[in-house]
Amino acid sequence: MMAVAQSTYVGGIRPRSIAGIWFRHALVLRRTWLPSLTWYFVEPFVILIAIGVGIGTLVDDIDGLPYARFVTPGVIAGSAMFHAIFECSWGSFFRIQKGVYETALTAPVSTRELAMGDISWAMSRAVITAFCIGTVAAILGWIDSPSGVGVLVAAALTGIQFGALGLIFAALSPNVHILSLSFTVVASPLYFFSGAFFPISVLPDWAEPIAWATPLTPSVHLARGFVTGSLEMSHLFAALYVLGMSAALIPIASALLHRRLVK
Amino acid sequence: MNGQGDSAVIRASGITKRFGEVVAVDDVSFEVRRGETYGLLGPNGAGKTTTMRMVSGLSPLSAGELVVAGIDVSLQGREVRHVLGVVTQQDGLDTDLNARDNLIVYGFIAGLSRAQAAQRADAVLMYFDLTDKANDEIDSLSGGMKRRLAIARAFMTRPQVIVLDEPTTGLDPQGRNRVWQELETMKQAGVTILMSTHYMDEASALCDRLAIMHHGQILAEGAPDELVNLHAGREVAQVRMSNGARGDVMERIDEAGFDYRDAGAVIMVWAPSGGRPDLYGLDGVRVSYRPSNLEDVFLSVAGRGLTDE
Repeated sequence: MMAVAQSTYVGGIRPRSIAGIWFRHALVLRRTWLPSLTWYFVEPFVILIAIGVGIGTLVDDIDGLPYARFVTPGVIAGSAMFHAIFECSWGSFFRIQKGVYETALTAPVSTRELAMGDISWAMSRAVITAFCIGTVAAILGWIDSPSGVGVLVAAALTGIQFGALGLIFAALSPNVHILSLSFTVVASPLYFFSGAFFPISVLPDWAEPIAWATPLTPSVHLARGFVTGSLEMSHLFAALYVLGMSAALIPIASALLHRRLVK
Repeated sequence: MNGQGDSAVIRASGITKRFGEVVAVDDVSFEVRRGETYGLLGPNGAGKTTTMRMVSGLSPLSAGELVVAGIDVSLQGREVRHVLGVVTQQDGLDTDLNARDNLIVYGFIAGLSRAQAAQRADAVLMYFDLTDKANDEIDSLSGGMKRRLAIARAFMTRPQVIVLDEPTTGLDPQGRNRVWQELETMKQAGVTILMSTHYMDEASALCDRLAIMHHGQILAEGAPDELVNLHAGREVAQVRMSNGARGDVMERIDEAGFDYRDAGAVIMVWAPSGGRPDLYGLDGVRVSYRPSNLEDVFLSVAGRGLTDE
């Protein structure tokens, strides 16, 4: 039996490489699903309840929405971001350090496929966490529009964008101190100024455009559109923003990973 | 010779690798024949790893031509990795997966179906006597076992050629022995092996032929015995002497035209054309003889020791 077949390529890309990397990540999740649940589910759930119920009782309706319903899409998009950026910054950084990617490259894998495999898993993680939180929110009645299923799409787009951003950090960081900037300087500030917890419109006039330009804001806006069931042109623009940003970031991440791994 | 009748699985002609101003591999040519174990012997920084990375299509050539199993590496670098099993210096095992899953994931990435990968993983684990470690965490394995698992991983795809970078560096003697055994078994099975090492005993024990590398160049090539005979003769005289006798000793060695290396307290003298240095009658001089080895060859061709810093 000759085991290995020839590779099939689609436009210079070997799909099996991407599937293989994705499969690796899925196996790891299957092995660690119990502790991982805290990540996917418990932590965002605690935030959702604490803010939705706790702070929600002190806050008036926002744009006609009870606070818990206002904040739900923000927590979902935020969690999608954290999962994606964590997977591709910390996760990928240590896989580079431990030679796991060097090993993957000894198979007929290119660095571009490696990047795409990681980003596709970041997307999957984002969808999984969105599904977990979204289900609970739906049970609580905080998502009741059928279009709420669309938060999974918003999460997927968020996952791709932040997966690519995370991978850029992994490929550039010489050590974990620089790597941690992906959280302290990027993810955390974005979370709080993305419109997840308060409408962008309450910011001073000069800060509003800045907040809109940052990459999590469109994700939150899109997720909120799906959750409330009131989709309009601005949501299409938000989706295009995230797609465009991803299209710009993925080649950068892939090139930086190549520079890091292939000498 | 070309095509089917060609016994060379790897043919490197004038391959060169530059990193900016640094020339890591400098116009290197060699051939590895089907079924043989070919070694690159040299100290750290000699260019062995870079050479092997180029052979594996993992490092683009700056110049030269490299054909592996009929595939031009410059044109189809990654296709080469269908016929090669590559074991990098760092084992590169995935500590988030157990031993068996490391093999399965690699097999799947390399192109096996999941069922094929699982089946092959079990066969390979058995072959490398690691079956009882199948479900163990990577961190619980000894260095030797990790190394064998990394070699087993390269074996997942039934490669024609195994490329092994420093197979036993960092292993204890027991682990080292096991890896040697494993390599011998693979060789018996007809697998071509390209390996690098900075251990001369490893090179002479395992390699059919080897290239001695230094500063990115191949200084000598041949079967271990041939190399020793050609460059270091059959034996080496190790001369210890009092300080007073030093001048006389050096004079006689020079007169006889023997190669020598002054290591301070000891002068090592070798005579590729045979003969022994005549040091009789000198006071305070002690001479002992030992069989020459590859370390002496390296000293002779590179002018320094394999392990010198």
